Amino acid sequence: MSAPRVLNLTLRRAATPGLTRFTPAGRSVQQRFAATEHISASDASSILVKQRLARPVSPHLSIYRPQITWYASGFNRLAGIAMSGTMYIFGIAYLAAPALGWHLETPSLVAAFGALPLVAKVAAKMTIAFPFFFHSFNGVRHLVWDVGMGFANKTVMRTGWTVVGLSVLGSLYFSVFV
Amino acid sequence: MASIVRPALLRQACNAAPTKRMASNLASSTMRHASPLSRRPMQSAFVQDALPKASRVAAFHATGCRPILPPLPQKIEGTLNDPTPIPDPAPTHGSYHWSFERLVSAGLVPLCVAPFAAGSLNPAMDATLCALLLVHSHIGFESCIIDYFPSRRVPGVRIFLTWLLRAATVTVGVALYSFETNDVGITEAITKIWHA
Repeated sequence: MSAPRVLNLTLRRAATPGLTRFTPAGRSVQQRFAATEHISASDASSILVKQRLARPVSPHLSIYRPQITWYASGFNRLAGIAMSGTMYIFGIAYLAAPALGWHLETPSLVAAFGALPLVAKVAAKMTIAFPFFFHSFNGVRHLVWDVGMGFANKTVMRTGWTVVGLSVLGSLYFSVFV
Repeated sequence: MASIVRPALLRQACNAAPTKRMASNLASSTMRHASPLSRRPMQSAFVQDALPKASRVAAFHATGCRPILPPLPQKIEGTLNDPTPIPDPAPTHGSYHWSFERLVSAGLVPLCVAPFAAGSLNPAMDATLCALLLVHSHIGFESCIIDYFPSRRVPGVRIFLTWLLRAATVTVGVALYSFETNDVGITEAITKIWHA
């Protein structure tokens, strides 16, 4: 037995000389009475399941420190979904247009876009260009990782911010000057 | 020290709001009969300070409970002692899929630049761009479905979304072919709209 346990039992026996014969080792001298009932194993597990659902969940997304690693990764996925989603929706709409009476041919689209004010045109171009450039440059970053290079923490941070910078520059140039 | 010997004694000491001196007296009286081996540094001050805090009722949470992603219905397959099932290794879903995905992505890098840089219409390059874009989008959406809808948690939703994605990809494939054939094609369309 461990030393503290030996000490415990020795002190107990020293303190209550009359009861040493009847006090079981490792149990308190007090007695408590609680009502218990017998339930089946499946009932017990269903109580446990219900209790598990009532337990609090540790915070995760709400407390994770913002870092270029996971912000860039999340934005890369978001950009991809936005662009591909647009393409998918346009494709399905283009096929459905004759039946619905819409005009989605190139001349109509060009005329509609040309009629917008300049600010709206630049804004719309930025909305497409920034995700496109970010996803492309970050994609190159991913391909560099796939050949096994650039995994040092500092390198990851540097390449991440480079991608952000290049995307901003590229999207601004192509939205405003082209 | 008295608390080890008699829990009841601890409770009496707690409720009586003892002074430091009284607690040390209690401890030393029980210690008088103990062997030299059991002598420990007096912890009466520690016991005295710890008790009032322990007997207060403290709130467990400071903020309200509002979990992001609350726990889903608890369902255990087999018993708690069964190991996690591991899928059988299959290169078509593993390394070949990975390599194919990287080849498509690498191929898209020059293919997104060249048509716009060249300036002239080229149906073959346009067709290749459309095909690679479609495959790349499909693989990307598939990764999202696999990541966010695990089959052991939401099997029905997962199967539905997988087939919805496949149907959408085929539909968009037809749409892109129609756009290329009956209209100018995506490279020319983007160029025209951009300079509108």
